[in-house]
Amino acid sequence: MDCEKFDRIVLDLLYDELDELTTAAAKRHMEHCARCRSIGSGLRATREVGALPLVEPPEGLELRILQAEEQAAQLLPLGKRLGRGLSLLAGYAMRPQVSMAAVLMLVIGSSLFFLRAQPGDREHVLVTERGVPENDTEVVTVLPKRADAPEPPRAGAHAVTSSRGEDGAPRRDRAAEPKAAAPAPAPERFAAAPQAETGLRGGSSLGAIADDKEAEGSEANADPDSSYDAAMAAYRDGRYSEAQRRFDEIASQGGPHAANAALYGAQALRRVSGCPAAARRFEEVHTRYPGSVGSDAAWQAADCYRSLGELARARQNYEQLSADPSYKTRAKEAIAELDQRVADQELAARRASAAAASPAAAPAAKGKPAAAKPAASSK
Amino acid sequence: MAAVQGDATDEMLMVRYQRGERKAFVELVRRHNRSIYNFVLRQLRVPSVAEDVTQDVFMRLVQNAAEFKHEARFLTWLYTIARNLCIDQLRKLSHRRHASLDQPQHGAGDQPDAQLLGDTISDPDPHVSAELNALSSEVRSSIVKAVDSLPDDQREVFLLREVANLPFRDIAEITGVGENTVKSRMRYALDRLKEALSDFEEYARALR
Repeated sequence: MDCEKFDRIVLDLLYDELDELTTAAAKRHMEHCARCRSIGSGLRATREVGALPLVEPPEGLELRILQAEEQAAQLLPLGKRLGRGLSLLAGYAMRPQVSMAAVLMLVIGSSLFFLRAQPGDREHVLVTERGVPENDTEVVTVLPKRADAPEPPRAGAHAVTSSRGEDGAPRRDRAAEPKAAAPAPAPERFAAAPQAETGLRGGSSLGAIADDKEAEGSEANADPDSSYDAAMAAYRDGRYSEAQRRFDEIASQGGPHAANAALYGAQALRRVSGCPAAARRFEEVHTRYPGSVGSDAAWQAADCYRSLGELARARQNYEQLSADPSYKTRAKEAIAELDQRVADQELAARRASAAAASPAAAPAAKGKPAAAKPAASSK
Repeated sequence: MAAVQGDATDEMLMVRYQRGERKAFVELVRRHNRSIYNFVLRQLRVPSVAEDVTQDVFMRLVQNAAEFKHEARFLTWLYTIARNLCIDQLRKLSHRRHASLDQPQHGAGDQPDAQLLGDTISDPDPHVSAELNALSSEVRSSIVKAVDSLPDDQREVFLLREVANLPFRDIAEITGVGENTVKSRMRYALDRLKEALSDFEEYARALR
């Protein structure tokens, strides 16, 4: 330490504001430096001698201050008083024991919260089963063809099999849907639909389906399922008039089977009255029930139109069905078939006119129109 | 409780007073009313005014208690209040005739118990010998005169250091100047005091 630094710290040394190392260094410097020693000792002597004598405050000053404070506290604004009270409460709240109590309460509360909803705490559990769950592993059983089985609906009609989903609505079974262009053993597949359906509803087989009397006897109190089953039984047994009446009732009442009942009702009508009456019914079903049932009805209507020779209307329906993914391929094939048929008819007509012009060719020309007649019959 | 408050720091007492503990305020007054009164008295030099200002200092403390920050130093805050009140009072007094050391303290010069400030300061200590007491009275009077003759800025620093016993850092904060400036003012004040007390070396040696 040198004298310059000593001058800077001499007051700190005098009032003991230096750390121990600097104090020791300053004292060592004072031992060797007469100037600094003189300054240091002179300041220390001045401080000792010149200590300012303190005067005792007047008696009563402290009391006056406390009285003034008491009066001031009473005159404090409400906000400051509330703030002071809040501060007091906060002071108590910040104490460790209060904090620990709060933590303890939090732990107990959270434990109760998590423990209160344990399933085992409930002694009685009421379970109500509504509906029948959908069976994804549904198996369609093909029954042997019955000799007295009625002619099944044409392409598409039997494809509508109702199995109930979770919401109870009929579900179209695409797996059993036949290809229109490739006629399959329709009676067998038609019989498969109720098998799957009844299997889902409790395992009753086709042979166990109630007869007419039983169906009629239970009709009054029958639910939609049993009514539909009875209608289907009548349809399969060839009692088309009865089936039509039952299906029409179901369709008019609405419900989950209304769409399928309307379609089957139209098919039964076709069996009873033929295509002239059924075509319009199919159109109504097509208009009323958009979706798969409506598409099926449109297909059936087109089939009727073909049978009736109304190829233009049939083609119109097929064109509409071309927009339906499930009918797209079949509809295009049917349109191509219709076009070919029209072309054949035109060709036959030209040949017939040519034969009429040539008497020699008349016998040969007589068989041509017959070959060009539509193969399908309305019945 | 009293023992606990006796051990508590000023800051702790102030926090307790903020919470509404009036005993904490009583303790603070007992601790600091003497030093505050002396600081104000040496600044204003009029005992009656100093008494009122001392009371005002503590009333300011009461009114602004909510503004005290826990991390602040209580003495720094208290002496900042005292200094500001002294400055205000000096401005008022500058328009009036200053009370002198020869003026009776309570403004009643005809009262038999009227006492001069110089006499009050130089009250002899009964524990010291008569000879030293006589010398002491003269020394004390000289000290008071020397302190009174200091420039305001030097006297202010001297009083804060000697009466309030505040470190130079806090004095710098109160006065709003740098710490080196504070030390410089203190050094000048001590040099002046040393010069005024140069005739009392014998007394100084006697005290050692």
